Amino acid sequence: MAERLASLAMPLAAALVGAFMLFGKRDYFAAFTRGASEGLHTAVKLLPTMVALMVAVAILNASGAVDLLSEVLTLPAERLGVPSELLPLLVTRPFSGSASTAAYSTLLSEVGADSFVGMCASVIFGSSDTVVYVISVYFSSVGIRRTRWAFPCAFAVMLFCIFFSCFLCRLWFF
Amino acid sequence: MLGKIFGVLSVAGLLFGMFTGNTEALGDAVLDGASRAVEVTLSLCGMMCLWCGMMRVLQEAGVIRGLSRLLSPFLRLFFPQAHRTGEGIEEISANVSANLLGIGNAATPFALAAMEKMQKSNPHPDRATSDQITLAVLNTASVTLIPANLLALRRAAGSERPYAVLVPVWICSVLSAAMALFLTSIPGWIKRGARRGEGDRRG
Repeated sequence: MAERLASLAMPLAAALVGAFMLFGKRDYFAAFTRGASEGLHTAVKLLPTMVALMVAVAILNASGAVDLLSEVLTLPAERLGVPSELLPLLVTRPFSGSASTAAYSTLLSEVGADSFVGMCASVIFGSSDTVVYVISVYFSSVGIRRTRWAFPCAFAVMLFCIFFSCFLCRLWFF
Repeated sequence: MLGKIFGVLSVAGLLFGMFTGNTEALGDAVLDGASRAVEVTLSLCGMMCLWCGMMRVLQEAGVIRGLSRLLSPFLRLFFPQAHRTGEGIEEISANVSANLLGIGNAATPFALAAMEKMQKSNPHPDRATSDQITLAVLNTASVTLIPANLLALRRAAGSERPYAVLVPVWICSVLSAAMALFLTSIPGWIKRGARRGEGDRRG
């Protein structure tokens, strides 16, 4: 039921935009194409970064380091309720959006998007952000060096998000 | 930052691969990784075009402005200094609204503008004010109604139920944002409590 409603989100957004195009006074389709070509530029500019990071994530995965680390971490990870396969995503998530996108899509192709680990990864990827990147950009833009409780709070929130995502997925799907 | 990430991942991967003798897999990984990057970016390309276009329409139709007017009375509660001086509360509401709609490249400029306005009334320019911290932490846990890239990546990875995660994502991100607002308010409460305590003792 919830899933059926959720799958309406995208079509609803499209219809809302369509309604503006129908009843709005301005030429909203021109606005759409302007925005879409900006999105295309963003995506094209993303490609060189993604090539580097996907290769780096692929090297790390192929080396067996991730497997070994997850095996070592399996027991403590299970105790905490967080699957150890999430490791590459969790390590890259605070630092960079493109690195965590690379880690996330590699993870999905390995464990399957609709598996328990895939669902956990999706909820974490969708509800957390690049903590270190955001905080350093925001404060350096106004020349602040002493960030006080910003990092402790942000990391606490992220930890909460990781644990709660896995907990919620277990309740919700399995 | 990205250089360091690439460096750490690739050097650690190479050393570990040589150690375990997985060298053939390493060579394949480089070839596959490079072409997988094109696949992933291509699968995001269509969604990014669509989403940026749709959100540009909503932006020009004034939806961000409307949303931020709705949100600002609620947000004032968590930004007491900005509320008192009147500096930055508009930008903060616009930032939260843009995040809500999932327009990342509109949200960041609003946030930076808000940081600058709040910096004007900052008594120690190299030290963050509590409102600035609240804004930064809130942006690391922002709520997005439709996380378009996430859905596109799930579909590209062959998901049969790409939208299945949407409600859990909403629940988790709303709670994370609430957590961010709660945690960043604690130092302010402690300070106010201490001040009141001193007043009691003097009284």
